[in-house]
Amino acid sequence: MTKIRIGRRAALAGGVAALANPAVVRAQGSGGTANPIKLATLTPLTGAGGPYGPVMAKAAASVVEEVNKAGGVLGRRIVLVSEDDQTNPEAAVRAARKLIDVDKVSAIMGTWASSVTTAVAPLCWESKTFLCTVSGADSITLLPHQGFLIRTQPNSRLQVTRVGEFILSLGAKKAFTMIPQTPFTQSTFDTLNQVLPKGGCTHQSLIYDDKKTTYRTEVDQALRTSPDVILANGYTPDTVVLLKDLYRAGFKGKILGFAYSINQKLVDQVGQPEVVEGVYTFAPSPAEGSGAYEKVKAATGSANPDPYTCQVYDHASLVLMAMASAKAATGEAIKENIRKATVSGGKVVDNAVDGIKEIMAGGKVDYAGASGPCDFDEKGDILDCKFRYDQIKAGKFTLVKIA
Amino acid sequence: MIILQALVNGIVSGTLLAVPAIGFTAMFAVLRFPNFSVSGVATLGAFAGYLAYGAGLQMAGSLAIAFAVAGVAGLAFDKVAHLPLIKQGALPAAIASIATGLILENVVRLGFGNEPRGYDRPIARDVFLGEIRVSPQQLETMGLALLLMLLVFAALAFTRIGKAMRASADNPELAALKGIRPERIATLASFVGMGLVGVGGMLLGLDSSIDPLTGTRILLSLFAAAVLGGLGSVPGAVLGAFLIGMAEELSVLVVGSQYRAAIGFIAILAVLTLRPRGLLGERAY
Repeated sequence: MTKIRIGRRAALAGGVAALANPAVVRAQGSGGTANPIKLATLTPLTGAGGPYGPVMAKAAASVVEEVNKAGGVLGRRIVLVSEDDQTNPEAAVRAARKLIDVDKVSAIMGTWASSVTTAVAPLCWESKTFLCTVSGADSITLLPHQGFLIRTQPNSRLQVTRVGEFILSLGAKKAFTMIPQTPFTQSTFDTLNQVLPKGGCTHQSLIYDDKKTTYRTEVDQALRTSPDVILANGYTPDTVVLLKDLYRAGFKGKILGFAYSINQKLVDQVGQPEVVEGVYTFAPSPAEGSGAYEKVKAATGSANPDPYTCQVYDHASLVLMAMASAKAATGEAIKENIRKATVSGGKVVDNAVDGIKEIMAGGKVDYAGASGPCDFDEKGDILDCKFRYDQIKAGKFTLVKIA
Repeated sequence: MIILQALVNGIVSGTLLAVPAIGFTAMFAVLRFPNFSVSGVATLGAFAGYLAYGAGLQMAGSLAIAFAVAGVAGLAFDKVAHLPLIKQGALPAAIASIATGLILENVVRLGFGNEPRGYDRPIARDVFLGEIRVSPQQLETMGLALLLMLLVFAALAFTRIGKAMRASADNPELAALKGIRPERIATLASFVGMGLVGVGGMLLGLDSSIDPLTGTRILLSLFAAAVLGGLGSVPGAVLGAFLIGMAEELSVLVVGSQYRAAIGFIAILAVLTLRPRGLLGERAY
């Protein structure tokens, strides 16, 4: 008897719920405020990444604001929750737990430090929350993320491939790499040994101890091979010593290095312009001049937005367009549709509003982002991006090209 | 020819290493514990010299400032942290000196940040002596180092205080009986030893750059040089510094520069296994 009574009550409750549910759905459809789509940025507002995080969050917010103004996605408003990862994996995990469990966001965007991304990624793929990152370590896309992760920062293999191509463009026949022992040393050698011979350039290399106070013997070793280009691939302190010793040794060929190492601080520290005269530097670059880049400039109020800010702008745009393609707002839906925002042959768009409109009209889009083309391989790595090449002239960095 | 060039490079770096190695070994001779805070003190000396040189002082004046600042700081740490522990044995004092070295390094970091800095000296192209390449500036720096070494040797051999220092190092009880006050000698050894370490830090930074890790980078080579020559032996430290300097440069040709740190460890291991007193013996002058 008791069992029957409960059963009837349960049936009644179920019936009421079933009747009420379409009404809720209708309310969402009409007003869009009852059940907004939630997205998150998890950027470093404090800590080592502190100079980047606040602007990154601002760029993502500008995308959300534009899309909301145009009516949202799938008739729903978007709410952006911004948390601080403190450039610290422990703090980032706590923040990510809150975003996933309490806010129930569909995607987390903008993790900056590789250590933070590595710590947060498992929480995301386990909860089927999509993760967009700007971290560069090769290992990140090798995690078993089941497709719930993309990154817009080129990995070291892509960067070194472009370096090799630039060395060839300088007409080099004998290149020599001088590099300390780092996690990317071997992959640098492997990549250059593949790229350079294809252009008729031989490649030799030397690993040095970045704690030495002089590299005279290392420079002698390098110069014995009569290189016409030397890739100085260290960090700032050791590269200062290396460039001085190359100058002292009378090296007349070309020198290249990464912009994170050969920067204005290095030039100031060397203190003698002729030592660094003509040295080339390179760095991943935003797609300067593109429509999306101009939008980032306007949104952030910065004349030269950094690559990370541009990448987060693209994260938000890609995620929202993926939702439009999927007709759903879950992490799983983003995972399945993120690559549909950059379909080759689709209508080229430079912002999420135009992209969503085209997708909803049944068209295909090819998003040209602020950070680059945003095409991803199956691991989640970008296939290509722009690089900026500068040359030091009279102690100043002058742009050679962005390509 | 490349071997000869590497040997010449090794002699240059060995000369620069010899100055702080003398300071380190002289302190060991008198105070009887390995003072690892030399890493922090060398950094401090390098930055003190950097500030003095940047303020317009000549090279000699800047070296004097580096010597004084490093000497005073080293002496203060000895008095406050290391020597009170020496009664417990050499090990507690040595461990405390690692801590004080870290403190000094981070004080410098707090004041100057992590960015490397360079002395504003003109950088000249090398000159060729036959087929051997030498840097005029490095020859100048080497000359300064040799001059300092000569001064130290002369002071130890000919001055009253130098003789007292040697006597106290050789037999503290006997020296005390002869009226030599061990505390004064210990104070002097701390000040002069650390002063030399500070000057060494500056000399090493002149041709490269300085940052809070300047001293830490040379710590292993410096310790290996002192152990190789015989801990407590000033000529031994000089010999050890030259040998370590040359071995480090030659190792670039043989096993690659990334194994440079192994040279120091191998030297220490070989000496402790085959000749624990070092090449010239513990108390040799």
